[in-house]
Amino acid sequence: MYGLVALGYHITWATSRTMNFSQGHAVMVGAVVAYAVFVALGWPFPLALVVTLVALAGFGALVERVAVRPFFLRASPAWLLATIAVGIIAENVAQLTFGKDARAFPSPLMRKPIILGSAGFYPQELLVPVVGLLLMGLVQLFYHRTAYGKQLKAVAWNPEAAGLMGINIPRAVMASYALSALLAGVAGVLLAPLLNVSPQMGTIIGLKAFAVAIIGGLTSAPGIVLAGLGYGLVESFTAGYVSTRAREIVGFGLVILVLVVRPWGLLGEKPSRRV
Amino acid sequence: MTGRLGWAALATAAAVIPFFTSNTYYLYVVISVGLLTIVTAGLNVLVGFTGQTSLGHAGLYAFGAYTAALCVTRAGTSEWIAIAVAVVITSMVGAAVAAAALRVSGPYLAMVTIAFGLIVEGVVIEWGSVTGGPGGIFNIPKPGLRTHYWTVMLAAALALWLTANLRRSAWGRACLAVKSSEVAAESLGLSAYYVRIAAFTVSAAFAGAAGALFTFLNGYISPDSFTLQTSILFLLALLFGGLGRIAGPVAGSVALTILPELLTRLLDYRLILYGSLLLLSIYWLPDGVVGAVSRARRSRPAPLELSLSPLGRGQGEGAGTLLVANGVNLSFGGVAALAGVALTVNRHHIHAVIGPNGAGKTSLLNVLSGFYALQAGTIMVDGRSIDGLSPYAIARHGIARTFQTAQVFGGLSVRDNVAVGVAGPRLGSPLSALFATPGGRARDAFIQSRALDLLEAFGLGELAHEPAESLAAGLRRKLEIARALATEPLLLMLDEPAAGLSPAEIAALDAQLTGLRDQGGPTVILVEHHMDLVMAVSDRITVLDYGRVIAEGAPEEIRQNPAVIEAYLGATT
Repeated sequence: MYGLVALGYHITWATSRTMNFSQGHAVMVGAVVAYAVFVALGWPFPLALVVTLVALAGFGALVERVAVRPFFLRASPAWLLATIAVGIIAENVAQLTFGKDARAFPSPLMRKPIILGSAGFYPQELLVPVVGLLLMGLVQLFYHRTAYGKQLKAVAWNPEAAGLMGINIPRAVMASYALSALLAGVAGVLLAPLLNVSPQMGTIIGLKAFAVAIIGGLTSAPGIVLAGLGYGLVESFTAGYVSTRAREIVGFGLVILVLVVRPWGLLGEKPSRRV
Repeated sequence: MTGRLGWAALATAAAVIPFFTSNTYYLYVVISVGLLTIVTAGLNVLVGFTGQTSLGHAGLYAFGAYTAALCVTRAGTSEWIAIAVAVVITSMVGAAVAAAALRVSGPYLAMVTIAFGLIVEGVVIEWGSVTGGPGGIFNIPKPGLRTHYWTVMLAAALALWLTANLRRSAWGRACLAVKSSEVAAESLGLSAYYVRIAAFTVSAAFAGAAGALFTFLNGYISPDSFTLQTSILFLLALLFGGLGRIAGPVAGSVALTILPELLTRLLDYRLILYGSLLLLSIYWLPDGVVGAVSRARRSRPAPLELSLSPLGRGQGEGAGTLLVANGVNLSFGGVAALAGVALTVNRHHIHAVIGPNGAGKTSLLNVLSGFYALQAGTIMVDGRSIDGLSPYAIARHGIARTFQTAQVFGGLSVRDNVAVGVAGPRLGSPLSALFATPGGRARDAFIQSRALDLLEAFGLGELAHEPAESLAAGLRRKLEIARALATEPLLLMLDEPAAGLSPAEIAALDAQLTGLRDQGGPTVILVEHHMDLVMAVSDRITVLDYGRVIAEGAPEEIRQNPAVIEAYLGATT
């Protein structure tokens, strides 16, 4: 699950060496939009899903246009802060329109828990990793098998050469942002029934996903998937045996530890410096 | 001058406020401005000078606050001792975090600092027996609001004074050099890692002090004051005020403290406001309010009355060989850039390395200066092995270089560029830089006068106070050579110094190089395409082709060598 959101960081990083620090807020927007369309307006779920995904792709493109493109070439923390700013604004807008309180998101998969021995879980909890892994597989296929995916990779490798080959770089970067937000939106819809929907839900999800992306290595999609699974396991163990709060302390401590030992993430490549 | 007036006005305003109002609310607001100023002044050293972003300073702020609170409530110390302890502890924590965090940069660094901030917040909430948990610590003895007002104002003034001193010192120049071009800074013997740790530690000390003062403002502290949002607010204030400007933190703190107070009715829209402010200031005010308002003032030339013992090293003993490289291999993903290259350079020679494009000349320089790791072979300089050393360590062995595209430090004046080279790794104590001790100032005056002398020798004296990024390409190259020579190297490596120069400039370069040699200057390795220049100045020439040495000898021999002619012209006969 974290892996899915974290993959969004990887996608934009891979094309543009920038990323949306408000990826978590995209998750929140996904959940809120889905709630508005599905629960409040009562549209059928498939339609609601489509609307959500389109809205999220638009959100991603907007973030790129407003907060990333103006600073793409400036080597500064500008895009980092600009995307945080967009996230802050999105959260506030959601608060104003949606209200501050968390609301439950109904799902047929949340009615009856499956009991396995002493542990019980909802089918929804099973759905999250399954859909997550499926989507990650699709993203990999997209990158390795389709012409457009290869173009995006080319941009990541050498923007100038890719530009000379006729690839529209701004559009490629925008597409990667849209795709990344789309994944976050799916995560938002999947998580909504589990976590309840609230404007504040984005921050912590975004941070944890970011931690996962960093642990796995921003340049490595498989690394991120593995790190996502590992992080989830460590979290539930700490939550089970120590306390819920300790969960975050241990989780983020792990990030620092990993980076001290392997500064570019578990499977990430060390960037070579150009002289 | 206008700058001084501005500071005086600001100080006067801060000083008279308590006499005009007895309303504690106003005092409280101004104190908050002061606290934010202290934190952002420290953050300015890290972000503005050194170019590293931290999103975890609320964690350091919390360290200062809780340390001070515990000192007073548990150990029963006085306020002053508590503040001192808080500063010391926070600096140590900052240094430790920096040592771990600054191995990485960019988003990785942002993550480490975010993680640090969240861990501190989490621990503070969890460790209830010591920190009071979510409720925080109450009943901290506090001074009267008026007394505290003076304390905080003085501390804020001190913070600004310290950062101004730092900016003018060798440390400040080193920070800006690392921010502008890490590669060039390392080629002058500066360890970017070390400089960044120092900057982070200084900023942590400032955050600790502000945290401690915050404790004594309210008399209670709770985890709510130290969230990720707080860290973002710190950064926002700095960015809005003006990154890298001494007055930036003041402007940003005033704006970001007073604005929300004025707009309390719009509380629901506060985040939108912050977010938009952040976006707008990044768009239109890349140098912040202060940068937009003021034209960059030129720094005054330093007084030249002092002379200290020379900083430099000699040229090593006598004649003989200076550099011996053997069997140097380098390949990039299976493509050999250098294959078994051997190079012997005699002292006080100008040794040219030539070859067609892609022959591996620049790769060889990058290996010799440590920017590419040596994959096989040995390199001895002045009788010592430099295999596997990092670029700054090699630079400290007396090897200086220039780059194919001149890497001048933008954001520094022409003179300061050279001053970074003069000082090299000898930055002195950060404390003496912060407090501008007489010893530190004397050192600095000496460094500056040395830099000016060098600029005069290179005919750049007139431009000493111009910003380096405003120079034309030819002058940048000149400046880069002057900066490299400022380190008093044993060996100077020039990577295509004549590229893009006019014939007149090339003639001048010719004269300069031979002049250097005749005055017993450093040994020179010259990578160059301009054959006229190479033939005119070189004592020996090594020819590379496809990563191998195909010829070596005096210019005359090389000119006649059939292998060389073939490499350059293709197989003709």
